[in-house]
Amino acid sequence: MRSGYFKETIAEQINLTDSAVARVWLALLALALIVAPFYLNPFYLSLLTIIAITAIGALGLNILTGWTGLISLGHVGFMVLGAYAYAIATSIWKLDPLIGLLLAGLVPAAASIVVGIPSLRLTGLYLAITTLAFAFIINHLILEFDGLTRGARGIFVKRPSILGVSFKGDTAFALLCLALAAITLVATLNLRRSRVGRALVAIRDNDIAARVMGVDLTVYKLYAFITSSFIIGISGALYGIFLSYVTVEGFPFLLSIEALAILIVGGIGTALGAVLGTIFIVLLPEFASALFSLLGDETARALSTGAHELKSMLYGVVIILFLRFQPHGLVGLWRDSKRLWVNWPLRF
Amino acid sequence: MTYLIELLISGLSIGAIYGLIAMGFAVIYKSTGLVNFAQGEIAMIVAYVAWTIASHVSGNVFIVAGGAIVFACLFGLAIERVVIRPMIGEPVFSTIMVTIGIAVVLRSSIIFLWDAVPHSLDVGIGREVLVLGEARVRSGQLGVIALLLIAIAGFYAFFRWSRFGVAMRAVASDDRTAMLMGVSAARVQAVAWAASCVIAGIAGVMFAIIHELSPTMFVLGLKAFPATILGGLDSVLGSALGGFIIGAVENLAGGYVSAGMKEVSGFIVIIVILMVRPFGLFGERRIERV
Repeated sequence: MRSGYFKETIAEQINLTDSAVARVWLALLALALIVAPFYLNPFYLSLLTIIAITAIGALGLNILTGWTGLISLGHVGFMVLGAYAYAIATSIWKLDPLIGLLLAGLVPAAASIVVGIPSLRLTGLYLAITTLAFAFIINHLILEFDGLTRGARGIFVKRPSILGVSFKGDTAFALLCLALAAITLVATLNLRRSRVGRALVAIRDNDIAARVMGVDLTVYKLYAFITSSFIIGISGALYGIFLSYVTVEGFPFLLSIEALAILIVGGIGTALGAVLGTIFIVLLPEFASALFSLLGDETARALSTGAHELKSMLYGVVIILFLRFQPHGLVGLWRDSKRLWVNWPLRF
Repeated sequence: MTYLIELLISGLSIGAIYGLIAMGFAVIYKSTGLVNFAQGEIAMIVAYVAWTIASHVSGNVFIVAGGAIVFACLFGLAIERVVIRPMIGEPVFSTIMVTIGIAVVLRSSIIFLWDAVPHSLDVGIGREVLVLGEARVRSGQLGVIALLLIAIAGFYAFFRWSRFGVAMRAVASDDRTAMLMGVSAARVQAVAWAASCVIAGIAGVMFAIIHELSPTMFVLGLKAFPATILGGLDSVLGSALGGFIIGAVENLAGGYVSAGMKEVSGFIVIIVILMVRPFGLFGERRIERV
């Protein structure tokens, strides 16, 4: 047992973990995630895929909202752009899926410059509402340019086969999504530990002070916008592939709110929080139906007519309760329980 | 020409509804620094309550209006007391997310408590077609424009002369000093929520009378955002004016360009306006001191 944390170099300071135990557990978790898709039944496999896809999006939004402190309601706009970029590239232009995925990142990134530059002057709520406006305008543009996007009819998307490996099966596709989620997680963690990441957090904590210390607000805010929308675009493309059909209706505005809720429930401003929040929010409806079935047949039947509404009510109530009683989110709970585990019976 | 006038009048009438909801946004923002994302849902739920009252006591406008206003008032007070007041001292972002949570809960509880099919709210008046020159308008459309004008005058007088209005402005400009001067910030916040729910509720009921009542009415809240941003989040009267502008622009774009443009023209307008004036047309520029 160690008696304290002693860090003597910068390298140790920014090291993700210095504990061998944590490394072993991480390796086991990775192994479990690789093996699991081969044994899960289709329902749980689709849940796992959705978690991986949503986690990519949440990690992307975390760069913008969690670290840079720019509240964005335009999440779904970037997702839909990514999905359409991929769908048009692969289904209509018949390009390679790898190029499609690249475009799915680059197109939202380019769009984010268009949104980002005007947003540099705006703060807080005005920014949130500008990004909301962006999400609506993107939807409109997609429906308007129906020569390219096929308008309201949508585009059929096939499961890709990348570099000769086919991802047609559910298991293979789940593994692809998990792999991309893992890459995104490592990438964002590395970003956070770099000079750029520190600059972004400095902007969030106090933009004027950051500017005085030599952080170029324009460059770094745009950087956050571009990186985050690149990642969100990829998650949108994966979601489109998962649905196997890309339409504007497939990406309701609720996804933007869900993404913010994930960050809050997980614990805002941490990559781990984005992942935990995703797992929680995606599984919440399943918990809810499990809970309803516990109540017995009579109530279950009485509630079954309004089951969908009850689930989304629960979703709202969970957001409110978390904000009210656990502002640090699931990450906060995790830290508290770790501290309790180490220090018990002492409080600190 | 007649087409233009008809478009303008129906644009101004829908704009008046946006304006009322936008005033609700601004009242809450001005006294608490929050944006209430549940405003459209509150308008919707008040309209549903009004419909329930109207289907039990038929034909009496005053009972329906009175019942709706009382309900909106109590509802606003309840939300403020149960959900918003415990959040005092938390970051603004969290509190705004709480209002989004309220929005989600209300939206699904409407379908749960009532149903998902559209209804028409018939209180006996507001649906007659009047002929003005060559243009044909519904009396309800003129009524809602008049209501917004009355609300503007009322709020102007309230903020300018009433003791409580002055207290609200004091809290808005500096809550700590206001509290030191003996103003109860909590009470100001409660009244702001009640007032904002009442005007949002009036907007919802008017919309239901002129058009119809359906669980997608909460979109009104999203459409009112451009109005309040255009006018400036902290300017109550500016928001009302912003509603007129957005409503007219939207309807003209819908009439002359395309139906899709109608949906997004409001959003395009605010992006352009925010480029020029990042705090809206009538909003106060915030000066940051270090």
